[in-house]
Amino acid sequence: MPAHALDPDFFLGLALLAIPLAYGLAAMMPLGPVRDPVSTAWRRAARAAASGFVLALVAAGAVAVRGAGIFRIFGFGAGRGGADALPALRLDLRLDDVGAVMLVLVAFIGLVILQFSRRYLDGDPGQVRYVRWFLATLATVSLLVLANHLVLVWLAWLGTSIALHQLLTFYDDRAPALIAAHKKFITSRLADACLLGAIALVAGSFGSADLDVVFARLDSDPRIADAPGVQVAALLFAAAAALKCAQLPFHGWLLQVMEAPTPVSALLHAGVVNLGGFLMIRLAPLIVEVEAAQLLLVVVGSLTAAIASLVMTTRVSIKVALAWSTCAQMGFMLLECGLGAWSLALLHLVAHSLYKAHAFLSSGSAVDVWRLQQQAPPVAKSGLGAWIGAGLVCLVGVAGFARVVLGEPLAAPASFALAGVVAVALTPLVVRALRGALANRLRWLAAALVLAAAYFGWHAVFEHLVALPSGASAMLGLRVAIVVLVFGLTFAVHVAMEVRPNGRIARTLYGPLFAGLYLDELFTRLTFRVWPARRVEAPPPPQTLTLESPFAGDRS
Amino acid sequence: MNLALRTPVRDPAELDRVVDRACARIAPTWPLDRFIAVNPLWGFVDEPLPQVSARLASLAGSRFVMPRSWYREQWEAGRFGPAHLREAIAQTGARCSEEDLVALLVSPDVASPRRALVTDVLDARRDTVHGMAWCDFVAHSLSQFCAAHFDEGQSKLGPDRTGGLFPSWRRMAEQDWSPVLLMGFQGYRAAVRRLPSNARALIHFALENLEVPEAEHESYLTSLLLRMNGWASWCAYRRWQARLAGGTDDQIVDLLALRLAWEWLLLIGIPDPETAPRWRAAISAWPALDHSAEASLALDWVLQRALEIAYQEELCRGLAKGLRAGAPIGSAGARPRSAEAASNDAQTRPAQAPSVQAAFCIDVRSEVFRRALEGASPGVETLGFAGFFGLPIEYQPLGSPEARPQLPGLLAPALRATDRAADAGLAERRGGRIDFARGWKQLRSTSISGFSFVEALGLLFAGDLIGNSLGWTRPVPHPERGGLGRAEQAGRKPRLATTVAGAEIDAEARADLAAGILRAMSLTRDYARIVALFGHGSDTVNNPHSAGLDCGACCGQTGEVNARALAALLNDSDLRSRLAARGLAIPETTHFVAGLHHTTDDAISLYDLDEVPASHRDDIEALRQALREAGRRARAERARALGLASLPEAERDRAIRARTSIWSETRPEWGLAGNAAFIVAPRERSRHLDLGGRSFLHEYRWEQDEGFGVLELIMTAPMIVTHWINFQYYASTVDNGRYGSGNKVLHNVVGGHLGVFEGNGGDLRIGLPLQSLHDGRRWVHTPLRISVFIDAPRPAIDAIIEKHALVRQLIENEWIFLFQIDAEGGGVQARRRNGWFPA
Repeated sequence: MPAHALDPDFFLGLALLAIPLAYGLAAMMPLGPVRDPVSTAWRRAARAAASGFVLALVAAGAVAVRGAGIFRIFGFGAGRGGADALPALRLDLRLDDVGAVMLVLVAFIGLVILQFSRRYLDGDPGQVRYVRWFLATLATVSLLVLANHLVLVWLAWLGTSIALHQLLTFYDDRAPALIAAHKKFITSRLADACLLGAIALVAGSFGSADLDVVFARLDSDPRIADAPGVQVAALLFAAAAALKCAQLPFHGWLLQVMEAPTPVSALLHAGVVNLGGFLMIRLAPLIVEVEAAQLLLVVVGSLTAAIASLVMTTRVSIKVALAWSTCAQMGFMLLECGLGAWSLALLHLVAHSLYKAHAFLSSGSAVDVWRLQQQAPPVAKSGLGAWIGAGLVCLVGVAGFARVVLGEPLAAPASFALAGVVAVALTPLVVRALRGALANRLRWLAAALVLAAAYFGWHAVFEHLVALPSGASAMLGLRVAIVVLVFGLTFAVHVAMEVRPNGRIARTLYGPLFAGLYLDELFTRLTFRVWPARRVEAPPPPQTLTLESPFAGDRS
Repeated sequence: MNLALRTPVRDPAELDRVVDRACARIAPTWPLDRFIAVNPLWGFVDEPLPQVSARLASLAGSRFVMPRSWYREQWEAGRFGPAHLREAIAQTGARCSEEDLVALLVSPDVASPRRALVTDVLDARRDTVHGMAWCDFVAHSLSQFCAAHFDEGQSKLGPDRTGGLFPSWRRMAEQDWSPVLLMGFQGYRAAVRRLPSNARALIHFALENLEVPEAEHESYLTSLLLRMNGWASWCAYRRWQARLAGGTDDQIVDLLALRLAWEWLLLIGIPDPETAPRWRAAISAWPALDHSAEASLALDWVLQRALEIAYQEELCRGLAKGLRAGAPIGSAGARPRSAEAASNDAQTRPAQAPSVQAAFCIDVRSEVFRRALEGASPGVETLGFAGFFGLPIEYQPLGSPEARPQLPGLLAPALRATDRAADAGLAERRGGRIDFARGWKQLRSTSISGFSFVEALGLLFAGDLIGNSLGWTRPVPHPERGGLGRAEQAGRKPRLATTVAGAEIDAEARADLAAGILRAMSLTRDYARIVALFGHGSDTVNNPHSAGLDCGACCGQTGEVNARALAALLNDSDLRSRLAARGLAIPETTHFVAGLHHTTDDAISLYDLDEVPASHRDDIEALRQALREAGRRARAERARALGLASLPEAERDRAIRARTSIWSETRPEWGLAGNAAFIVAPRERSRHLDLGGRSFLHEYRWEQDEGFGVLELIMTAPMIVTHWINFQYYASTVDNGRYGSGNKVLHNVVGGHLGVFEGNGGDLRIGLPLQSLHDGRRWVHTPLRISVFIDAPRPAIDAIIEKHALVRQLIENEWIFLFQIDAEGGGVQARRRNGWFPA
């Protein structure tokens, strides 16, 4: 170790380690005999979150300057790589472009949400507990992002899940909170099991569970991926990601955790649920080699994206609608992974985090939004012809755009399929541009152009920013076809509902969509049967309790 | 399974009346964008509150007194004492001693159980560890469906609503697998198909087959409604609005039928031989539960009464002191100064005509500001009036196709105000902009555009997160200012335009309206050079309940539109000449100016200053100075309740201002917390008192009120409104689980604007959030029934009580405590069921 002492990398490694440590220490440190423990806890948390953010920026700067690297914090026993690697005791941190983006994101989100929580939870008797578990969540998430050894990834993820569980059951006298958190608990443990199995298989096949070693082997000998152990491992990794990302039919918990304070939802939706996507991006060199894993991601992701986004349109409350939206967006992110569109997946992960954090924190503004929207003139419905026409215009326009930006369509079929999704997305804007006053029509058209330009612009930026393997395999055509089919169908259903809101298609689909296709009912019933949640004790006379703990909520 | 086991024997018409009586028990709840206060027990005011409380304990498990430990705290803090206990025993006629009550303070609360429904009977036998409870499932399922049916802005796709709630539910239920899948209720769908297709028919059949005794029908139906009190209140609102518009809405009966259908389905549909006998046993236990509920809380009510007596006693003393100090008011020109006030120049009432008359809303928050303003500027005379300033208007914002009411919820609008813009095309432009903003916003939540939206624009939300966190930007545009630039916003002038039907309001009608308003304000002579009309509004961000902090008399909007429209009306020279013909001579030197009192930070905006004549510019400037100073004083006073009193002034002001712009603030201001009294009298009766922001104040001079028409108006409108506000606070405090909306950090807006869920789902939550009543350590609001003090002759008051059955019920059933300020006798008299007594 002394050899490293003057190495700038050694200090950079320490700086990286300081990120989870800053959160973790602030989470665990006893408050001592202070006059005002609540303010002290918040002040410390604010300092930790600020330091975490600054250090994350430093890390990102370092990647930009010196490139990716592995930083050994300490190590005893044999060096990395050999068959004797596992028993050795050491801690390596990994920092690359993907990790840096994630670190900055997590630290930023953490800072904003913590800042929000301080005022929001003012007066709540559980504030100190809240601060501790909030910081513990940030500590474990940042450790997960930095980990180079898969077992450390696993442990960090387990820690994240446990810390978050405490936040989700922050009001532990609310029965629905316990049930939802319990469902999450079960799903998470399933994911943990998949992950552990996958790690064991990787260690067995590669002789190491160090990410850099695994990737180096894959790079030098791609055929190693054909081994059954590696194939199954990749499939298990993909399954774990799908479980952690609340994909159908394991999505129920994500929709029901509104029983925790708003900022907890924001943290979950912006900083935790997307870790499945991060795992896939992290393991991209492995996943691209395994067709079955990619197929799984595409099938589960696109079905979830389509179904959840349709179910979302039937939801009656703002937060639950946002949760279904997250479910769908995670599906879309995973299908991008499955198509090998890694940089888009990373863009999606980051952009969605920021968007969803804001959407949750501002969900109290729903009434203001409603009030303003009531003051707009009613919109005349457009006919089927307008929709088909606008759809075609968008397809042609976006295809032209994509041809310029992305090059030859057949060279990048996945990118073109995803550009098709953009074309579909722009259609509602172009439909509006077909009628009304000229000034308004131009406004809608401009909006469509801005959206398209922004999409391709960010796409290019992220392609440039992060280097990720491009997947091209024999079966890519199948995966692209699945995506095109699913989104084509979704578009058709959307148009049918727009054109005929009371038509047969809308009426027939409404019941099942409102019921979320009953997927969660079965899961919940099974949960109750097999492994029931802890029951809330019968409430004492409500008023006595209300006085002592006014935030206990409705017990009727 | 045969659903129609027995044919009803009860006369359908009679049962219909029972159903209507049960439904009439539920008070309406207004949506979040018009969140005005309502007494949630408005359907029960025909009985004394303690009796109602016992009934609701048995029917729903509610409790309408505070826990005994809380009374003990009040006792130990000296807020009431032995004398008050004795007086309370005397007044209530309770059979108990003072010692019994003191002992009660240290004894634990007793909760009497509520009546069991079929769902409770089933749950008692159900293994709720390994399966969901029926109560929870039914509540969740019904609430979600009601939300879907009534949704007005969240979902894009909804159920087939044809025919109303019940038919809509039946169509859905016939296709619904969740009771089968989640609860194992085989045969649910088939059973639903055999239900009667009409709500009232279903109620008849179900009551008969559930074997509920006739005498219990009304109570049973009421208890079913109270189990879904939130949605029942929403249905009651729909009915209220329909009736104001001259129609009707029967969906509350549908809701009742729907809940009853579940009782029936569960009793017959779940094969368990034990259910029926247990249900019969449960029914036979109901009367005993009623009795135990009545007995268990009787003494607690005496404690509550004693606390109210203590508050009233102090206020009576204060008011009487003012009477003794000065002679009775004669003509308005010779108003004597009280000896006490004279000793303090800052509080002196000017002997000469005031330089400014400033009218504020009766709202309790005005009291703090008025006192501050009077202290800051002795030349200012303030008066209180309902904040809609008597204008029965709806307001159509610029470019909006819809108009919204700007008057108390008890009334239907007759006239319409619109914006007079400098620029004729602005309305259309604003409509276009909002339309675009709406389409853009909705893009993210459609099934096809959300994904690309996120990838294209999601990163930009980093900027929003920063801007919103620092309070630089609002998370969404302001609902009033949205769609307008700053200059355009300034050029917008809300003015009285037409009748609701769009017809011209002729000059005579305008004059009648203005004359009526001035008389109702008792502002009929001695006009100052400046008469300022202040509406009020709250400034808060990201707060679903923000309308609850705005002006209740303006239907949960700010009072800006009303104040500006009225000031403009009264400045019209043609109108003034017509007023003179009606005996209201407003001098040419008098100018009316409109303003808005921002209750969160006690700042004041003045409007339409471009229309102030040059001769009055200096007066306005002086007023501005006085208002600024008053704001400073008012903030200093409010800082105490906000926990900011220890900060230096600049920092304190910054902290208070931050509350108006920070998106994570759950307690921007304390609103009307603490309200406990309503004083209907000339200001000089209360000017010497610090009422601590707990009293509504209405200007009233009975000498000018020929025939007591104004008094009648006050006692049938503002007095009811203050009672509604007062009892909303009361009920939200004592039973926040049912009549309050719980914890704000869990709030989840439903259907665009209908209300909130606390968390995932559960019933629609009505009433006030905990954060509006409680600071995390203690209740900031003290639940006291309102005490109304009127300065008018007793026979006049009695005549109005006699004439209006509702007013009599409120007073004699002690929902309101009525007092007379007896200037001649130099004291205060209390009105009880059996007459007047010295207080």
